Amino acid sequence: MSGHSRLRTPNPHLGAYYGIVTSAVVSLVIVLAMLEQLGWSEALIAEAMIAVPLVLYLIIAAGAHTLNVEDFFTSGRRVPSVFNGFALAATAVGGVGFFAYTGTVFFLGFDALAIGLGWTAGLLLTAVLFVPYLRKAGSYTLPSFLGHRFRSRYLRMTASVLQLPPTALLLAAELKIAAMVASLFLPLSFSLAVIFVAVVVAASVLLGGMRSLTWTGSAEFITGAIGLATPLIIASILLTNLPVPQFTYGETLSSLHNAEITTGLTPVAPDISASPLPGAAPLPVTKPFLEPFGSLSEAEFAVLFFSLALGTACLPSLLVRSGVTGSVNDQRRSVAWALLFVALFAMTAPAIAAFAKLVMFQDIAQAPASALPAWLTELSGRHLVQAGDANGDGAIGASELHVARDGIAIALPMAMKLPYVLTALIAASGMAVALAAAGSHLFTLSTSLAEDLYRVLDRRPTALPRLIAAWAAIGASALAACVFLLIADLDPLRAALTAFAFAGSTFFAPLLLAIWWPRCTAQGAFAALGAGFLVIAATTVMSAFGGGHAAITTAIASLGGSALGLVAGIAASLFRRRPSEAEMIYCEEMRDPEGEAIYDRAQARAAAVAAASAAASSQ
Amino acid sequence: MTTDVPVSDNPARDRHQLGTLILAIAIITGALLAVSLAIATATFLNQYWFLHFPLGFYLLAQGVLIFLIAAAFWFTRMQEHIDHKRSESGELS
Repeated sequence: MSGHSRLRTPNPHLGAYYGIVTSAVVSLVIVLAMLEQLGWSEALIAEAMIAVPLVLYLIIAAGAHTLNVEDFFTSGRRVPSVFNGFALAATAVGGVGFFAYTGTVFFLGFDALAIGLGWTAGLLLTAVLFVPYLRKAGSYTLPSFLGHRFRSRYLRMTASVLQLPPTALLLAAELKIAAMVASLFLPLSFSLAVIFVAVVVAASVLLGGMRSLTWTGSAEFITGAIGLATPLIIASILLTNLPVPQFTYGETLSSLHNAEITTGLTPVAPDISASPLPGAAPLPVTKPFLEPFGSLSEAEFAVLFFSLALGTACLPSLLVRSGVTGSVNDQRRSVAWALLFVALFAMTAPAIAAFAKLVMFQDIAQAPASALPAWLTELSGRHLVQAGDANGDGAIGASELHVARDGIAIALPMAMKLPYVLTALIAASGMAVALAAAGSHLFTLSTSLAEDLYRVLDRRPTALPRLIAAWAAIGASALAACVFLLIADLDPLRAALTAFAFAGSTFFAPLLLAIWWPRCTAQGAFAALGAGFLVIAATTVMSAFGGGHAAITTAIASLGGSALGLVAGIAASLFRRRPSEAEMIYCEEMRDPEGEAIYDRAQARAAAVAAASAAASSQ
Repeated sequence: MTTDVPVSDNPARDRHQLGTLILAIAIITGALLAVSLAIATATFLNQYWFLHFPLGFYLLAQGVLIFLIAAAFWFTRMQEHIDHKRSESGELS
């Protein structure tokens, strides 16, 4: 074995460390619950609940700091599969899933299930089609894999530019969600909250790159899981007497149906003139929870599902984690773990939505407009709910209750009159998951800028060293995301769905051909990338001006772009020369699960050659 | 009439790649078929109830997800078995 190869043994104390992290979060909740009973103010409890875990994440990031290139880009390729599963799941779901998906299920009920299903199926697709082969290739970024596979610098640079839209959109969406939580619970304006959140995310990525991202991401995932499970289990016990909300919320569905009828909610049919997905501003609920295909038709549901599945399968921020485990098998297992965690979340979100809707609708159905429940006043103060007796009938109907989509998870413990510490806990957990996802997107974006654009364009020996270029790109990307969020009014859910559509349309075809078709050439990969990107970019620009079903049009374009990319890639590959011998050998090696990563072997060979030539010149 | 069957220079590799391809096609087809069937039959199945859920809703909210989890772990195990057979063949040759 060459001197370059390193032991891939994971740290044996990881279980103990994360046991301590879990205990610290649980202890914090218990202490704050006691302090709440002793008279601490709600503001103080919320600040402690959010700030203490943030300090913990920064301490973990500082502890994982590194100046080693392999550690910075791949966490030393020794992350255990479960921990990589934590980080992958946090990136796939993110704050957008935690708050916006839960809110979408609240509004659309049945029809929103396409989103959770799409994420989960996408992880299965990526585990089968892409991840094991990317692990064997060992490249640090998705564009560098394409560049190495086809021996093309231009392809690498093009892929790097084309991965900017999906990654930047997701980064902005996650930062906005985290800033929204920070501005609700900390004494910060939204603008200051954006800057604060961006600084925290950039610091955790700057200190140790993928290494600090992995270990802070694991802690953030654990906080997210605790914060999601605790209030929901308590709500489930109060409403159904059983602590398994995923399976017991079915018992509340008939009560929910009755409450919906009492508040005047009637079945609806898909409306082609209106957007089927709820926006971020407070809106009335218009569709019963269980009604199938009321906002989306069957075909639109399927299109949204397939678009999200393709987008998740080749999302650059997920694929960049393909090189962090010790072996191809570990990498495959880590995606299976991530799929388990994402599926558990996708099963849990409808339970949150159903419980929140039941409690809210039962309360407003029973209360006269002159004596609104206390939670309604409290949520109105936070701009999460607006209610008024617009038709003067003395009661609040469903059409008169306007709810903010992204505030549903926060509203549940308030509406159920649970201790305030649980509201703060669910906010802190959603913020933790948003920070983990934002960190992944920031790392993906900036390392690609540094590795695939800067280092490929500027090959002078005096150029910035590798890590300094990455740090500069991280700082610049975080700053750009901040400025964008301060200027633009971004809907996080719509931005995320567009990003998944971009990723699927642009990268699915070239990746599929690069890994599964040895005959594919660089020209074919160029054609697949370009065709898919042009279709989705043109459709997105047109639907931005056209209005209507923007989300569905983008999803259809994503599927069309992927199909067109496949056809263009195959046609261009068959039309031009056959692949070179080096490309064929690379393809064969990539399909062999045994042995070191191809990139690591190449690096070791280069280091050996450099050492030999240095020795020869010194003699 | 006789035909010349091309002889592979690495039969273990070819068997591994064929097994991997078949498994990938089987898993993806199974998963996408399950989701498509659940979507297509959801309205009809909603007239039946399971664990207090309408069956069509239950399948999309949980049933298919549980199937995907099982498929992912089964795939991991089967692929490891296929990889193991290739490395065993490599050691023998």
